[in-house]
Amino acid sequence: MATLASRLKFPGMSERLTTTKQRRENFYGYLFLTPWLLGFFGLFIGPGLGSLYFSLTKYDVLSPPEWIGLDNYIKMFTDDPLFYTSLGRTFYYAGLGVPLGVIGSMFLAILLNAKLRGLAMYRTLFFMPSLVPIVASVVLWKWLLHADFGIINQWLIDMGWSDPPGWFGDRRWAIPSLIMMGLWQGLGGTRMIIFLAGLQGIPESLYEAASIDGATAFHKLRHVTIPLLTPTIFFNMVLGVIGGLQVFTAAFVATEGGSGFATTFYSLHLYRHAFDYWNMGYASSLAWFFAFVIVSMTIWQLRLSRRWVFYYGS
Amino acid sequence: MAATIERIPSTDISGDVYRRGRTHIQKAVTYILLTAAGLMFAFPLFWTVSSSLQTWQELRSYEPHLFPSIPQWANYAQVFQSVPFARWMGNSFLITAITIPGVIITGSLTAYSFARFNYIGKEFWFVLMLGTMMIPTQVTLIPQYVLFFNLKLINTYVPLTIGSWLGGGAFMIFLLRQFIMSIPRDLDEAALMDGASPIRILWGVLLPLMKPALTTVAILQFLGDWNEFFGPFIYLSKVELFTAAVGLRFFQNIPLESRDPRDHLLMAAAAIMTIPVITLFAAAQRYFIQGVVLSGLKV
Repeated sequence: MATLASRLKFPGMSERLTTTKQRRENFYGYLFLTPWLLGFFGLFIGPGLGSLYFSLTKYDVLSPPEWIGLDNYIKMFTDDPLFYTSLGRTFYYAGLGVPLGVIGSMFLAILLNAKLRGLAMYRTLFFMPSLVPIVASVVLWKWLLHADFGIINQWLIDMGWSDPPGWFGDRRWAIPSLIMMGLWQGLGGTRMIIFLAGLQGIPESLYEAASIDGATAFHKLRHVTIPLLTPTIFFNMVLGVIGGLQVFTAAFVATEGGSGFATTFYSLHLYRHAFDYWNMGYASSLAWFFAFVIVSMTIWQLRLSRRWVFYYGS
Repeated sequence: MAATIERIPSTDISGDVYRRGRTHIQKAVTYILLTAAGLMFAFPLFWTVSSSLQTWQELRSYEPHLFPSIPQWANYAQVFQSVPFARWMGNSFLITAITIPGVIITGSLTAYSFARFNYIGKEFWFVLMLGTMMIPTQVTLIPQYVLFFNLKLINTYVPLTIGSWLGGGAFMIFLLRQFIMSIPRDLDEAALMDGASPIRILWGVLLPLMKPALTTVAILQFLGDWNEFFGPFIYLSKVELFTAAVGLRFFQNIPLESRDPRDHLLMAAAAIMTIPVITLFAAAQRYFIQGVVLSGLKV
């Protein structure tokens, strides 16, 4: 039995905790937690504090860190134009890609949730691109979107667009290209499955009631399905933003941050400082600011969710 | 409910006919949309395979060939001759062979701890564990790199696999915990009455019942490692140690003896690297979806 003290207090000080039963629970609980605790302190808390310290130093790995106080943070805000542009691009990518991805997945799930024959086949088909490893997907999309020989541009030319975009090689189109690739991979993946699970949780009786009231399919979608999916939309938005802001591999493999600096996202900027210039101190300060941004975005979304997320039955 | 009344439901026959007609149209529209979406998802996959079987001259003829005029199966052999792709695939498999047992053993232990014991500070650790999912990897990356660098573990698989032996990450633990919590406690308690130790209960009672969850976890771990680019990229610099993901990028960028375009070979390599994942999916489709169900995501 869980003692109330152990549920509510940490560290607990109730005398009841000294009972043999509780001692046993503590012993085995912590025994089995040990591998995770080792990892948590050794690979997460320790390195986290380490990078906090590095962020206040000048450090190139080979010579010992040299304390410089807040200089890295000051440099970041006052003397690093790429800091602002890379942050801006990252928000452009996530701000456009994540809502499109979440809404797209939701509509695919709604289509698949219709009571029709043959839908399992479509579901499998939609899911397939998410199985393609990201590096393979980049290689494929660079070929599809090749400026001269890509099949997409050849079609566009056939359709009368004489001067189609250069896609990954074009400053203006590089990020949209990455978003397109991300949508192809992501729309039918796990996110769509989560929406399907959400849809199956909507009580049939609500649709029956709506039908009796004479609601059309569109009205049911607007007034039953979407409101009841808002918790799922919210969940996927939060996860999507956390992941989207960290975009790295696709941009790095596709263009290494080019063309020009068109896809130098924040994480690529950080990577360059860390592993190309060995500015480990400065890269650590970039990392901590990044953590601050991501946590803030998450908290902001949680706050905002009270205005639009609808929990059925509460 | 929120549904607005658009028209009064009619009971006469004409109303029924009208409504039946409407559902037919709805069905047709749904199928059309699904098929259009299906084509868009499928085409790039089809094009990978088709391009991988063409010659580069064919691919660059300004006249797209949807199908190869003569399938060039030799392209696949040429991938393995140009770069050590078999070795890289083997390395990726080796990594998953290390991490999967790790996450199964230590992930289950951690999940067991969170699901079945009531100890001081449990909630505290649990919330912290979930919180780790929010923190970007970059925050811990640099000191981890410095640590492994100082321990002379660059160009080994230790940095890439150690995490799986230390719990295996918050999501996996959460998923296993949810599953253990769905197993009736009566079973544990019966075994306890019989004098079984907690580790014996986990081994003898819970783990056999956890097979679906463990399979899901193993598959997710496999997919994650197979896909992983950044870790292997920064920790491995010797070509013979590369994973398939890092190797494919390497193949994309390195100069080869032949200066001919290699798009067809890259497509073949991309297809080769995708085959194990598709095979796994074909064999164990339901477990791919179970991850969602298991984590209790009715949301």
